[in-house]
Amino acid sequence: MSDPTTVRRRKRSVSSPGAAPWLLLAPFLAVFAFTFVLPIIVAVGNSFTRVTRLGVFGEEGVITEFAWFANYAQALENGNFIASIGRMLLFGVVQVTVMITLSTVLALLLESASARWPGVFRAIYFLPYGIPGVVATILWSFLYVPGLSPIIDVAAWVGWDVDFLGAGSVLWSIANIVTWTYAGYNMLIIVAQLKAIPGEVYEAARVDGAGPLRMAFAIQLPLIRPALVLTVVFSIIGTLQLFAEPQVLATVAPSIDSEYTPNLSAYTTAFAYNDYNVAAAQAVLIALVAFALSFTFLRLTNRSSS
Amino acid sequence: MTTMTRRNLLRLGALAGAGAVTAGCATPGTTSVNAEPTVPAAPAGETITLTYWAWLKDLQKVCDVWNAQNPHIQVQASWIQGGNAGGYQKLYSALAAGGGPDLGQVELRSLPEFMLVNGLVDLRRYGVDDYADRYNEALWQQVSYVDGVYGIPQDSGPMALYYRPDLLDAVGAAPPQTWAQWADVARAVRDTGAHLDCFNYADASWFAAMAQQAGARWLRVEDDSWVIALADETTLEVARFFDAAIDEGLLTTAYGQFSTPWFAAAANNDIAGLISASWGDALLQGVSGASGLWRVAPMPRWETGYASSFLGGSSAAVMANSRHPKEAMEFAVWMTTRPEGINAMIEHCGIGWSPASDYIGSAREGGSEFFGGQPYNTEVFEPAAAPAAQNLEWSWWPITQQSFNILADGFRAKAAGGTLVDAVVAAQGTIVRTFRNKGLTIREETA
Repeated sequence: MSDPTTVRRRKRSVSSPGAAPWLLLAPFLAVFAFTFVLPIIVAVGNSFTRVTRLGVFGEEGVITEFAWFANYAQALENGNFIASIGRMLLFGVVQVTVMITLSTVLALLLESASARWPGVFRAIYFLPYGIPGVVATILWSFLYVPGLSPIIDVAAWVGWDVDFLGAGSVLWSIANIVTWTYAGYNMLIIVAQLKAIPGEVYEAARVDGAGPLRMAFAIQLPLIRPALVLTVVFSIIGTLQLFAEPQVLATVAPSIDSEYTPNLSAYTTAFAYNDYNVAAAQAVLIALVAFALSFTFLRLTNRSSS
Repeated sequence: MTTMTRRNLLRLGALAGAGAVTAGCATPGTTSVNAEPTVPAAPAGETITLTYWAWLKDLQKVCDVWNAQNPHIQVQASWIQGGNAGGYQKLYSALAAGGGPDLGQVELRSLPEFMLVNGLVDLRRYGVDDYADRYNEALWQQVSYVDGVYGIPQDSGPMALYYRPDLLDAVGAAPPQTWAQWADVARAVRDTGAHLDCFNYADASWFAAMAQQAGARWLRVEDDSWVIALADETTLEVARFFDAAIDEGLLTTAYGQFSTPWFAAAANNDIAGLISASWGDALLQGVSGASGLWRVAPMPRWETGYASSFLGGSSAAVMANSRHPKEAMEFAVWMTTRPEGINAMIEHCGIGWSPASDYIGSAREGGSEFFGGQPYNTEVFEPAAAPAAQNLEWSWWPITQQSFNILADGFRAKAAGGTLVDAVVAAQGTIVRTFRNKGLTIREETA
């Protein structure tokens, strides 16, 4: 510790790092600043700005002013936007629960001692994640559209009239696509965590006479808790950002409106209505809701674990 | 200490940069090109290049016809996505950045939205009135606002009834001439398990076309103010008619015209007809095994109003940042009114109905095999497009797309027990609020 050379070396490395780290970081920092930080700042700035055009086409003047929370008020007054958030909450409660349960069951089955060809099945379950959401939705729409869908035809033979694209059912048709796509991905995260459980724990359990079920509930589930928390938080955020699936399905389902999900609503406001300021306010609100939900979930799980 | 300073400097720099960018993109489109002096024509002998952004396929082949005749004014076409699917977004951002093409394809109904961001050149200042008589009067009305002309009509869609003679014969019906007769025919067709048409809750433009036919005039400019008459008696009558028709099951609401499920149903003989625009003829040929099965008849009429209506249609608009607005306008006029331009547009781009008042295009003069040899263009669509058959009062407004979405939201509520009438009345209030939120002047028509 008192060796003078090490002290000097350490001192030099602390006091004069030189330009090297900055130079090496520069490409990342530049891209990060211009494509991530700056857009966020601009969006927040836009959300507090208001442009009014006076007259018939704005010929009597265009006023740009700081609007305080007027854009936020307008976004929150929009019943469709609020409804879209509510719809996504309902969607999230059902879809995330179903999907994470499914992922966990699949992971436990694949990691159980009696599993046959776990590698093959893992690849098969993961496969849908490799298909882009837009393509997946087009594929599924062929199973949803009456006149094309073999499922609807078969159901009709047994006298069951199914409508996958009606106002009440289309949300769950979307949930099905999302679950199909992401269940395998989440399963993989959980499998990775399962593989990290040391073998001695299983051995000890087996010596104590625990069966597979007992082992799943007493050992595996508690130990994969961090992976479960992670996948749920990702899924909550993903739910609020749902966009491609309803956007594509809207072409065959008239019941999906232009503000079906929060992101669709912001997209429509910005690019179809040309109201970038209110759209920016909506985007900020979506981010806040996602943040609040994820934070609440983390707090709840932390509290129950302690 | 040195690193701290550097970090502070960086922070300061980032903030300043952000501030500059925020200030830079605060309010694009707040100055009007139409208040500045006009741009003089390029001097003779100088070669200029014009750009045209459009979603028509193979448009360059049309431009090449012009380019061969006009070596000094070369036109380059660039493909963009159709309208709100991405093309407008691209045009808007180009305008905001101070660039973009000389010409852009803009749907007739979207012209006012581009005017609102000062995106279009008033062509009256470049002598467009000299060409006004070459165009269909009803379409010229749809590019004229207040004191200016803001686009060159490029194509349109006069409407008619496409029908299956075999399915109508099966119930002993002929093509209906009035909407009352239409309801009778639709009832008979419904009893065979098919439908005479569909009503797409998601797309209000079809309903707007029906109101337009009945003689409605939803928005107009009067004394420096917008006047809205969306919920007038004419429109409410149309809404009541379709309310009753949907309640009776005369129209299916499960899908819209030319959607994937519609094609499946049409191929399955479940669709006995549809009221659509002239450009529907090409789409109809996508129904498998339908060749020779379809015919075209004039639209059924309301008690008031006109023989037909327009659905869709676009313009070639000279964009605000064009450096050669006069030449751009002249190219657009050539393309849309000269026989070689029109024929090239039909052959290469498959455009909708030509806006020229005296020429429909040689490809549209004969009979069509798909329609069993019926010369339906000259027989049905040419009279339907004539100014006498159209609502000359109709014009569009700055938030057309949003208004259609507002109406569609109301229409969807019909599935849960609402009515189209309620939707129309509620939409008028919402549209007025939206206008005022933007700062625009609007009042409701006092009956």
